[in-house]
Amino acid sequence: MQSSIDRRRITGPEESFAPVFAQDEQNDEQQPKARVGRTPRDIRPIFLQTGLITQANGSAYIETERTKIACAVYGPRQLKNAPYSDKGKLNVEVKFAPFSCRTRRVPNRDAEDRSIANLVHQALLPAVRLELLPKSSLDVFVTVLEADGLAGCVAAASIAASAALAHAGVEMFGLVTSCAATVVENEVWMDPDETEQERGRGTLVLACMPALGTVTSAWQAGQMSVAESLQCMKECQERCTDVHFVVAKALTDSRPAT
Amino acid sequence: MSSDASSAPPNAPDASIFQRLHPKAYLERFLAAGFRADGRRTDDWRELSVNTGSINTAEGSALVRLGDTTVVCGVKAEIAEPELDKPNEGFLVPNLDLPAICSPKFKPGAPAEEAQVLSNRLYDLLTSCDVLPLDSLCIHPGKAVWSIYVDAVCINYDGNVFDATAAAVVAALASARLPKATYNEETNRTICSRTETTSLELKRRPLCMSFGIFDSLHLLVDPSSFEEPLIESTMTIAVDESGDVCSLQQEGMLRIGDKTTESIMQECFLAAKKRRKELEPFIDNLR
Repeated sequence: MQSSIDRRRITGPEESFAPVFAQDEQNDEQQPKARVGRTPRDIRPIFLQTGLITQANGSAYIETERTKIACAVYGPRQLKNAPYSDKGKLNVEVKFAPFSCRTRRVPNRDAEDRSIANLVHQALLPAVRLELLPKSSLDVFVTVLEADGLAGCVAAASIAASAALAHAGVEMFGLVTSCAATVVENEVWMDPDETEQERGRGTLVLACMPALGTVTSAWQAGQMSVAESLQCMKECQERCTDVHFVVAKALTDSRPAT
Repeated sequence: MSSDASSAPPNAPDASIFQRLHPKAYLERFLAAGFRADGRRTDDWRELSVNTGSINTAEGSALVRLGDTTVVCGVKAEIAEPELDKPNEGFLVPNLDLPAICSPKFKPGAPAEEAQVLSNRLYDLLTSCDVLPLDSLCIHPGKAVWSIYVDAVCINYDGNVFDATAAAVVAALASARLPKATYNEETNRTICSRTETTSLELKRRPLCMSFGIFDSLHLLVDPSSFEEPLIESTMTIAVDESGDVCSLQQEGMLRIGDKTTESIMQECFLAAKKRRKELEPFIDNLR
């Protein structure tokens, strides 16, 4: 129920519902056991390009099959209305386009955006040399145009954000790459999409700097044994090393930011 | 970054510094030589590209680039109850978002003035020339209608966002596929089919063409983000596929040298019609 009218947007009817489909009610229970389309260890192919947002200091666009995310970095710019700080401030904002999920996302209705922004922030923070940017702020804006699996979305957003930071010429200890894994039955499936993540018992998203061999953030949700969790981390780290090549290639191919 | 800036001597004549400090004089010097800062002539439009259907979670979608200006538009269809006094009419809800990602001039948070104004203009454009007749969205009179949410998101703001948005919205609506819906009177529910789809019946396909007047001397078509703040008068003309004018919006003093208002209008109308014809292959064949 809408508590107050949004006067800043054009609003439609008071209530509307996503379509209900006829087949949905009888189908299920016939999902194949094994993974379809790729082996459990495969991640989806990544397309990454920097410099598409010309207004920003640095930008990156990432596509992993159906997940499509644009990211822009503005700054370092002057930190306004804030007391002196000898370290820079890293702001991350994640926004889902209203059409990015299966059901329409009404703007400003839930806190999911902020929790994802927090995860991306955590992934990036250890890498960025904020001590070199006193009195300034770095703004990282992420717009999700299409999401296919939340864990994969967090990973892709972290990769795009780190590529955009590098493209903006911000000093970092290393490139951050990220990968997700889910445990389905007793198998670890890398980079799950939405339906696979729904089948999984638990998911883990790992962000690391492969060049330095350090982990910057790990987020696990759902049920996993300790052994499974460690296995997920190990496999994620391996895939992150692969992703590192993709990011490095995209950065060397790009035109330098202005 | 800081090392780059300090590598040039402080007083070196640098075009980009001149551009930032004296944007007006900068543009004037270009125009005196017959060109604009991005190398275009005053009557050159930027290249348009339209890519539809790339977003799978939307019923219809379009990515439009006008030069570097990029707008993504997605159409989501939901089912709602019609209003009591209009039992046959569905809803069309267009919104344009100008998020902080697209330009340094926008801050994160609720839509600012510009986004609100442009969303309203978009709504006026779609309703005033009856682009999508609302009674075509009826599933069952008085019980169920489609509510079509048209959300446009600007990813890169390089001027003339409204023209790009209008193109993205029309392209997304034209390529949208709604599932076939049937209302069951006994269960009071609307059920959709996964296999059968219908497209929206677009009555007209208006596209917008914008002009700016600089210095009361130059008519600049398709202004860029550098030119927009320097322009004293703007005009946006919407023209549909048969060459009819659907909407016109003009702000500021319409004056170029000693030309009459009528002749300026005439010039803009002709240029808009010509451009609409050129854009035909991008929009009019979309199904």
